[in-house]
Formats: sequence, structure tokens, C-alpha cells
Amino acid sequence: MSNPNLIIEYRCHSEEQRDKESVFALFSGNFELPKHSRALKRMLVWLGGLLFVCAMPCLAKAAELRFVTWKSEAPEVWNQAIGDFERQNPGVKVVSEIGPQSSTQLHDLLTQKLRNRDTRLDVFVMDVIWPAEFASAGWALPLDSYFTPAEREKFLQAPVAAGQYRGQIFGVPLFIDAGLLYYRKDLLEKYNLPPPRTWPELVKTGKTILAGERDPNLVGFSGQFKQYEGLVCNMMEYILSNGGALWDEKRMVSALAEPPAQAAVRFVRDRIIGEISHRGVLAYEEPESLALFTQGQAIFHRNWPYAWSVASDAAKSKIAGKVGMTPLPGFSVGRGVATLGGWQLGISRFSQKPDLAWRFATFMSGPEIQKRIALATGRAPTRLALYDDPEIAKKIPQLKSLLKTFNQAVPRPRTPVYAPLSNIMQRYFSSVLALPNTGVNERAALAARDMNRVLDLLRERQTP
Amino acid sequence: MKSSPRIALLFLVPSFFFVGLFSIFPIFESFRLSLYRLILTLPWLGEKMVGLENYTDLLSDPVARDSIRTTLIFIAVTIPLELLFGLGIALVLDQVFRGRGLLRAVVLIPWAIPTVVSSQMWRFIFNDRYGLINFLLFGADTSSYIAPLADPNLAMISIMAAEIWKTTPFAALIILAGLQGITDDLYEAAGIDGATPWQTFCRITLPLLKPALLLAVLFRTIDALRVFDLVYVMTQGGPADATNVLQFYGYKKTFPEGMVGYGSAIAVMVFLMSLVLSLAYLRAFKTSRLYGRNP
Repeated sequence: MSNPNLIIEYRCHSEEQRDKESVFALFSGNFELPKHSRALKRMLVWLGGLLFVCAMPCLAKAAELRFVTWKSEAPEVWNQAIGDFERQNPGVKVVSEIGPQSSTQLHDLLTQKLRNRDTRLDVFVMDVIWPAEFASAGWALPLDSYFTPAEREKFLQAPVAAGQYRGQIFGVPLFIDAGLLYYRKDLLEKYNLPPPRTWPELVKTGKTILAGERDPNLVGFSGQFKQYEGLVCNMMEYILSNGGALWDEKRMVSALAEPPAQAAVRFVRDRIIGEISHRGVLAYEEPESLALFTQGQAIFHRNWPYAWSVASDAAKSKIAGKVGMTPLPGFSVGRGVATLGGWQLGISRFSQKPDLAWRFATFMSGPEIQKRIALATGRAPTRLALYDDPEIAKKIPQLKSLLKTFNQAVPRPRTPVYAPLSNIMQRYFSSVLALPNTGVNERAALAARDMNRVLDLLRERQTP
Repeated sequence: MKSSPRIALLFLVPSFFFVGLFSIFPIFESFRLSLYRLILTLPWLGEKMVGLENYTDLLSDPVARDSIRTTLIFIAVTIPLELLFGLGIALVLDQVFRGRGLLRAVVLIPWAIPTVVSSQMWRFIFNDRYGLINFLLFGADTSSYIAPLADPNLAMISIMAAEIWKTTPFAALIILAGLQGITDDLYEAAGIDGATPWQTFCRITLPLLKPALLLAVLFRTIDALRVFDLVYVMTQGGPADATNVLQFYGYKKTFPEGMVGYGSAIAVMVFLMSLVLSLAYLRAFKTSRLYGRNP
């Protein structure tokens, strides 16, 4: 015991033990003030104070609502709407967390939180392709008790259906997207050509104008053909309008290798990209393809409804006033197909304030806010009544005539394994389009086999 | 004074704790997960122990095989070029001239910029309509403009160019440190013996730089094996999977697709590849150190 360190250690130890004992006494109720009561009292006061300080944020947060969203094209409208909600609900504070714009990247952020059962997430924006996945994973709250059938009647049917999975509903439609064809009204008039009603007609019209204009900067068509989610949206429109399908929903097998699907893919490769577009589109997402169009360098352009307000805004577009918008062509007249897109509001199953979250979701998807968003951004509303609204009609004159297109827009496969299926399809489409000498047949068979392997996972449910 | 082993252990505990928590535990956890079939979006399938099935799948998965090949090509092309350019820059920066300090700082800029930012910049440079590359190549002749990111081969070259630009400064920095470790007497002696500059470079500079070069290769290989952000921002693995490097493929499986087991197998694969390469380099590194000590 000659080592002084050990003595000090021993002392510390015994003191600690004494403290422990008195704390034990404190909690067990056998609490008589010992001699050093002043020190204990002080400790108690500190402890109480500490508890209070720790609890304060929780008390204040009682009515805090966490909202994960992307940055809106009109953030001021969005923020104003949130401000209005807070005013109507005193004591409620909505904390928005702005995630990435890209659907895939926002999906990463949200699934990270949901997988960790993060209670600091109440409401989130949800791409129309997510409800099946979020429902199956147990992340999204079923909204059936809130979102009554009578209330659903007030919405367009396609987006409401997109929010459903196995008979339950998980999303409130915020706005609807559907593929549309934009065209240069001035150029078509110049050559006295009508807007094309079939894809081959579009190629022919494009070639006529290209030959007449002799402008090296002008291309016939701009769409989204990069290897990403938008590629599936674009290709699906050709395949379905040719009578093909991505998958057979009843038998749950891929339909990519069927002749109509293959023919449509060949058409895009050989005629659309091969004859009237340029290879640059293979790296285009929406912004790049729209920029080409608004710079006056494309005759035809495929995009979602919001492109109308961008292309018609003289501050952002060189072709304002020269733009036409019409449903997408098909392979025969009147058989065009638009991919359904758009966003919904979902509520986390781990939210501790589902009622408040629902109130917020209905408010943000309500007629007033949807109208403001439609006017500011050109996003197509999901509420039927707004299609008769005079102010919106003034801003987007063709909107009403597109109601049929919106209602008939086709959703992408509604299944919890959509993400792997989509990656397989993206790989297939991109390979065929970017490598012109690839055999479509072999690639399609390969993609179909991969898709079926993923779909087989869903069958395991029946045979546990 | 004698040091007490107990105190020493006590001081070591925090480092063990952090290394264990942030490096050893995740590696073992990834390895454990890679033995399961775990699909986040299909929770009813549960966590099923499948042994090495994920690994056999990985080896028979043509996408994974292509991805491994892409990654190895990426390493094989970028690292020699980075070293070559890095050596050139380091030799210049080793000379005495006015403004050398400033230049040394400036050279590091590409490396200091967050990769996500510089990737975005490179994406613009390679843009098919208003990109700088097209302007430099073709000027105002817009009809011959090319779309590098839309072509499988050019997209890969674009990613490599961005990577080389970004990490050459790092190689230069390590090589410069190596250069400064070579004493001037050797050069003086070479001068007295009448060696030409080329002889001096080949017989003195290069052999003595070997440890620094190996270190640069080691760091760069491990880093290049894990390349992710450039691909994520510039191409998302496309077109036609041409830039689908292993780490990006693993990310796609684990996060967007929720195939945690399979994704972990890919992560373990990347880990094993870098481990093997590191050990091989370290062996080479050791022998070269001995060689340096007894010339």
C-alpha cells in the first residue's frame, strides 16, 4: 500500500459508494436528512432544475409537426400555406425539412428515417410509386378512417387509386402528373401541319420541319432517356400505346419480352432517337430536356404538366406564346397513353400525432392550397372542382381538356418491389438505346428473366 | 517513473471503444447481414439465414460482374495517370521560385472542393449543348457537338477525367513530401560525378521516391475502389450501366431497392478487395523500405 495512487483511488471509491447510498435512500423513500443535508438539498434542487430543463423542449414540442418535403418550385406559396395552417391551429409549429428534389434521393432520406422508426417525422411527400412499398414495409399509416369515400369522390380517380394498396389507402393526392406532348405551335403552323396523333406521324412531321428549317441546332424531339426513373415513365408510354405492357399484373410476370413491347422499344431507338432526336437525350432528365425546348431547339417535347408554365413564361423561355400542349400520341389514333406521376402526402406510422398530421395533410391538399400551387407552378390539381375554376382556366387554358388524359393516366406497377423492377427496366432500356448494335430480343429476355426473379419473391407469401 | 499498465489501459479504452463502434462493429455487422436474405420492403419474408447464397448470387450476377470489371478498369486507368501528373506537379513545386507557397496552396483546390460540388461542375462541363468541352473542341460549330455523358464509353472517360482532376493534387502532395525527404548532398554528389539531369532523376529521385509513390498508390487504390459520388451526381450509373461501379451498385441494392442482404454482400466484397490490395501493397512497401535503407 505504498503507492499513493491506490490510496486516492480507494478514497474516491468509498465516497462514491456513500453518494450512491444516499441517492438510493432518496429514491426508495427512506429519506431522512443526513448530516450533510445542505449538500443534498442543493443536489436535489439542481436535479430538479436539470429535469425541468430537459423536459422543457418536450413540452414545447407537444404540438410540433415534422414535415419532410422537397423544395417547391414556388417556395413562397408553400411557406405561406404552412404559415396559414399554423395560424389556424394556434400552438402548432410545422417544422419542414427540405429534402432533395430528385425522387430517388428523397426516397433514400425518407426510408432512412422510416426504417429507424424516427418519431420526428409526421407527414411526408410521397411519389405515386411509393405507397405499395411504404405500406408493405409498414412505414405509412393507413388513412382509411380519415380519408372517407365521400372525401375521395372529390378527387381525380387515378391518383386516389395510386395511393391504395391491398384495399387500404395511404396517400392524399397533392398534385397529378401525366406525360404530355408539347410542341412548337409556330413551326407547325408555318408548315401547315396539325399536332401529330400517332408516333409515326410525329416522326414524319419532325422530319419535314427539320428538313425545311435547316437549323443545325434544332432537333425534332426531346424527352427523358437517361438511365433513371424517368426513362421508365417515357418508355412505358410507347410500350403501352403499342398494346404492350411492362408486366402482367394478374399473373405477376414480366411482359417486356412480348412482341409489342419490343417493337415499341425498337421504334424509340430507330425512329425517335435515330431519326429526329439526338443522342444527347440519353443523358437528359426533365430539366435538361425542358431547357432544350424552351431554348427553341426542339420541335416536340415530352414532359409533365408543370412544363407548360415554364415554357409559357417569357422570363424563362424563348418560345413563350409559341407553345402547344396536347395528349401524347399513340401508335394508332386515339390510343395514346400517359404515365401517371405526381405526389401524395403520407403520414408516418411512427408519428405520435396522427390526428394533427392528418389535419395538416388535408389542409395542404385542400382546394385553396392546391389552387395557389396550380397558379404559381402550373402543377395540375387533384381536386375535380378546380378544373372548373375560372382563375386556373385563365392561367392554363387547356387544363380542362386534359382531364380525360389525367383520369386515364396509367400507374407504374404497384408493388412493394417496384424499385428493383424499375432498376432492371432502366438497365434494359438504357442498354438498348445507348448501344445501337445490341440485340433487343436477347436483352428483353434477360430483363424479363430478372424481373420474374424479383416477382417470385412476392409469391413466397402464399407458401410460407 | 514506472508507468502503470492499468492507467495505460484506461487511456486506451476510449480509442478501442471508438474504433470498435465505428469501424469493427459495422464491418462485422455488414458481414453478418450479408449471410441473410433481408428485404426491407417485404418484411413478412423475415430475416432468413441463407449462408453464402448472396455471394454465389453475386458471382453469377452479370450486372455485378460488369460492375467489378468497370471498377477495376477505373482503377487501372486513373491511378497511373494520377501518379504521373502528380509526379510532374510535385517536381515543379519542389523547385525554388517566387510564389511557390501560393501555388502549392492553389494546386490543392481540386482536392479540397467537396466532390459533390465538383461532380456537378464536371456534369456541366460535359453537357452536350453548353458544355465547355464541346466549346473547346468545336467552338461555335454546334452541329458537331458531342454528348459525352450519353455515350457509354465517353461517359466512363468523363468520370475518369473528373476523378483524375480531383485527386491528382493528393498524389502530388504525397510525392512532394517524398521529394523533400531526399537530401541535397545526393544531388550535389551526382552533379560532381557529372550525371545528366535524366540520370539524376532515374538513379536518385525515382528510387528514393518509391515509398512515397507506393503510399500514394495504396491510398488512391482504396479510395478509387470506393468511388461513388462522381457516379451518383454525373451519371447515376448509366448509360447502359457503363459507369455502374461496384460501390454505386451496392448502394442501389441496399438503399433504393431495400435488398439489405445482397447489398451487404457487395459491401463486404468491396472491403475484401481493398483489404487484399492493401496487404499486397504493404508487402511491397515493406521490401522497398528495406531497399531504401541499404542501397
